[in-house]
Amino acid sequence: MKAPIALAVLMLLAGCGDAGRPAGGVNGDPARGKVALGQYGCRACHMIPGVTGSKVYVGRPLEDLAKRHFIAGTLPNDQANLVRWIRDPQAIDPGTAMPKLGVSERDAMDMSAYLLAH
Amino acid sequence: MPATRTRLILTTAFATLLGAGTVAALAGVAAWRAGWYDIGATTQHFQPVYTVLEQGMHYSVRRHARSVAVPALGDRAQVLRGAAVYRDNCAQCHGGPGVAPGNHGLSMQPVPGPLVDASRHWKPRELYWLTRHGIKMSGMPAWEFHLSEDEMWATVAFVMQLPTLNAADYRAMTAPPGEPAR
Repeated sequence: MKAPIALAVLMLLAGCGDAGRPAGGVNGDPARGKVALGQYGCRACHMIPGVTGSKVYVGRPLEDLAKRHFIAGTLPNDQANLVRWIRDPQAIDPGTAMPKLGVSERDAMDMSAYLLAH
Repeated sequence: MPATRTRLILTTAFATLLGAGTVAALAGVAAWRAGWYDIGATTQHFQPVYTVLEQGMHYSVRRHARSVAVPALGDRAQVLRGAAVYRDNCAQCHGGPGVAPGNHGLSMQPVPGPLVDASRHWKPRELYWLTRHGIKMSGMPAWEFHLSEDEMWATVAFVMQLPTLNAADYRAMTAPPGEPAR
């Protein structure tokens, strides 16, 4: 009776080990993602660590993204959801001012890899 | 004796400055002629360079727009006219609430940026000046010879309203003529 509970607690604790890292690890090429963030105009609205641009508060600053629990107020923060949000934000929140920017799966993967590491 | 000594110090200082200046100029010409600077738009400025250039642009616009006389702005018809001008000439690079710029706008360096916050940074007369004269080396064209005076001011009137619009408002105001606003 107690063993499954203990096991569950252990599994939960194990999940806390790598602080700030989304479960399941991160795929993609962060260096390529950094360039992609510049090439899809992300920095026009968002401040992003390491990406040059103006002081801007149109979208939220994207520093410490890995430490957040939710994306867009509703989605649990993991790489798959971040990729979904980057590729088609209006499918998740029809009222959002963030437009669909035509980001490919690979580019969104690389962008999320960079964002989750900075 | 002190006079000679002073002359020696001055001559040495002058020769040193001249020598250093010449070496620096030669190094500059060499770097320029060799093409070492990466002009590609996939590499970014260093943040301090970007900030200095951007701040200088702000100072220049503020100064040059000082003498612009501002007409009455903000009546509904004017704002709607401005919305149409914006849709046809500005949104391609600047986008709008819920609407992405075209690919050329996304990958420009510097990125044209959204205008939803423009009225926080600029007065109407500065927005007019920017629209009319454009910004050198930034990709922002001058519209003086392509839009009428009324169209430029209507665009300014619309941009001043942008912060109050959500994605649905923007879509409705910029709906192409003949199509019902959704």
